[in-house]
Amino acid sequence: MIEQTDFDAIVVGSGMSGGWAAKELCEAGLKVLVLERGSMVRHGQDYITEHTPPWKIPLGGKKPRELYERDYPVQSQVFSFNETTRHFFNNDRLNPYSYDEKKPFEWRRADVVGGRSLLWSRQVYRFSDLDFEANKRDGHGIDWPIRYKDIAPWYSYVESFIGVSGEKLGLAHLPDGEFQKPMPLNVVERAVKYSIERDYPERNLTIGRCAVQTEAKNGRGSCHYCGPCDRGCSVAAVFSSVGVTLPAAERTGNMTLRSDSVVEGIDYDQETGKASAVRVIDANSQERKRYTGKLIFLCASTVASTQILLNSKSPSFPNGLANRSGVLGHYLMDHATGGGAVGMMPGHLDSYTVGNRPTGVYIPRFRNLQKKGGRESGVDFLRGYGYQGKALRLGWQGTFKQTKGFGKDLKNALRRPGPWLMFMGAFVEQLPKKQNRMFLDDSKKDRFGIPQVAFDASFGDNEARMQTDAEQQARKMLKAAGAVSLKSFDIKTSPGMAIHEMGTARMGNDPAESVLNKWNQAHDVPNLFITDGACMTSSSCVNPSLTYMALTARAVDHAVKLFKSGVI
Amino acid sequence: MQRRALLRSMVMGGAGTLLHVTSPSLAKALAGGAGSMMGINNLQLSGVQREMCRQLSELIIPTTDTPGAIAAGVPDFIEMMVSDWYTATEREIFLQGLSALEEDCFARHSKSFLDIVEEKKIAALSRQEDLAASYVKEDEGFFLMPKEDEKAPFFDKLKELVVVGYYQSEVGATQELSYNPMPMEYRDIPVTLETRQWSS
Repeated sequence: MIEQTDFDAIVVGSGMSGGWAAKELCEAGLKVLVLERGSMVRHGQDYITEHTPPWKIPLGGKKPRELYERDYPVQSQVFSFNETTRHFFNNDRLNPYSYDEKKPFEWRRADVVGGRSLLWSRQVYRFSDLDFEANKRDGHGIDWPIRYKDIAPWYSYVESFIGVSGEKLGLAHLPDGEFQKPMPLNVVERAVKYSIERDYPERNLTIGRCAVQTEAKNGRGSCHYCGPCDRGCSVAAVFSSVGVTLPAAERTGNMTLRSDSVVEGIDYDQETGKASAVRVIDANSQERKRYTGKLIFLCASTVASTQILLNSKSPSFPNGLANRSGVLGHYLMDHATGGGAVGMMPGHLDSYTVGNRPTGVYIPRFRNLQKKGGRESGVDFLRGYGYQGKALRLGWQGTFKQTKGFGKDLKNALRRPGPWLMFMGAFVEQLPKKQNRMFLDDSKKDRFGIPQVAFDASFGDNEARMQTDAEQQARKMLKAAGAVSLKSFDIKTSPGMAIHEMGTARMGNDPAESVLNKWNQAHDVPNLFITDGACMTSSSCVNPSLTYMALTARAVDHAVKLFKSGVI
Repeated sequence: MQRRALLRSMVMGGAGTLLHVTSPSLAKALAGGAGSMMGINNLQLSGVQREMCRQLSELIIPTTDTPGAIAAGVPDFIEMMVSDWYTATEREIFLQGLSALEEDCFARHSKSFLDIVEEKKIAALSRQEDLAASYVKEDEGFFLMPKEDEKAPFFDKLKELVVVGYYQSEVGATQELSYNPMPMEYRDIPVTLETRQWSS
């Protein structure tokens, strides 16, 4: 059989945004090729560690340290990385990148179909006009070419399909969505909520809005609270592209999904002024192939999509495809997550919880909420932060070292639920800065002969001041709620650690200073769309995946209209 | 899906073997990992040391109204971890600890640890705990992301292996603690005299 090499559309990447691009393009009737550099994961049958009991986990759950140091020094730091999820992650030894020693960047990556949509923390929050107007208001970065009203219907469209549980709060700066019934707070979280909302009427504590169904809908199950979503969820209560969007694309009969396909670059046709083909290297055989498509959607992740563009040089685009502005690779952002507090919560020992809730609590941004001017009085930074956290009773893992002695007394002590602990950690918005960037190091090639990515990025003074405030406020709120043995922290972290890296091919109205227009369409290449985190013009302080998905659905809608009317 | 159907799907294949993996590259990645559960690669314990670990594990987590460390397979876990997982430094501290314990027993009782009565074994292990109490961890690191403490003293190492081995075992997880892989809900529950920690 001769392999099909010409498609209506090619989607590069199969994760959070790629899955949405595939679904929407296929459902519009286009013949779509989806390319993924990682290996195949099929819904259900490849969730090989789902429901693995504790006694089947190698090494009693201890880390195989030599292996991690050699092959996973970056990925092993990810919250969802362990021996039950390692097979979804990137091998750092095989896929090197670089940075200045003084400015580390943590590039945390999956290496499978589904990408990080299998491994995320499932938190979904809408951006608001406080975010879309932020750059314009304080002069950092350029203005977003869209406002909340442009994306709001697409948020609703995406939320309804992926299944989001959460509580409506009626806050202008954290708009409500299409929510299934919220998961409950536990007794200590309710007590902390009461304390915070009593002391600070403008602050809220709510259950984390998460892409996990609490109602059986959309042909999928509701959460059974087993806990480790990141091993795969065969009832697809949790959203992943593998479990939800890719199967929807597959059902149309219009999708060809090709795993183990490393995209080297995109060809540009000078005569038509369009991107014409995607060049692929087979990850196993190293065989080179070329696929042609009329529409090209880059959804490979913030860093990987920009890497592909920077590596797509031609006489028309000597600095990388769609880079006439020269901003490609710049304005890289993440969230700073080194501030917060943790404390023991006395009492409530007559209460325990059943079930493993796949979300925590959320304290929405409460700083600099006013419309005019950048900052409120008494605050020495621009923008804001939100907290994520949870209360839980410690298990034996967290108490045995502090429990003196051995024998029957130790055993009886560890049998009972431990004391309550409450944690809250801030997600601090990062200002867009030109000097924070990624680029290609032509002197270093990867195993496919592709120039390696290099990073030059760090958090700045505004992030540092904001994080200090986040520490102080977390401490005050937990102390007022009765926490003891309270430890707050304000530690220096590296960009990438929040795994919310974004920017590098930002949207904007002016082609001279942005890569994409308001439809995520490259200013310079009309049939090229970038809808992953690379498109972001500012970072907000909320988890960005929902926005990538909504922008993707919106961009596809526009692209299909142009395609069907023959414009591109 | 109903709880029963979910449990059935778990038994049928959820807990997974390599045979169920449809992707060759995924299977390769899995097979390349830490396969230590398949057997011990690098046996390090002598017969006496092995028997000491067996008895020590039961002193730390004894049989009570539920099975203890030996019934849970902890001795094999200790041997596997000491042999295959420990760094050279950790193994040296652990094996020297066993020797020191043995020397202490000979000095006090002119007998091996293995040949003294349980009361004296407990006292001997308590002395090891006392010795460990003065230890101060060198690099605390960030308290929310604790690192393995390579230089922790013998007693701390032994206790950790026994505790981890026991509560992660099938016996520990299902008989000592409460195992509920399919809770189907999240809510507050009252603590009663019977309440145990969840292992799941």
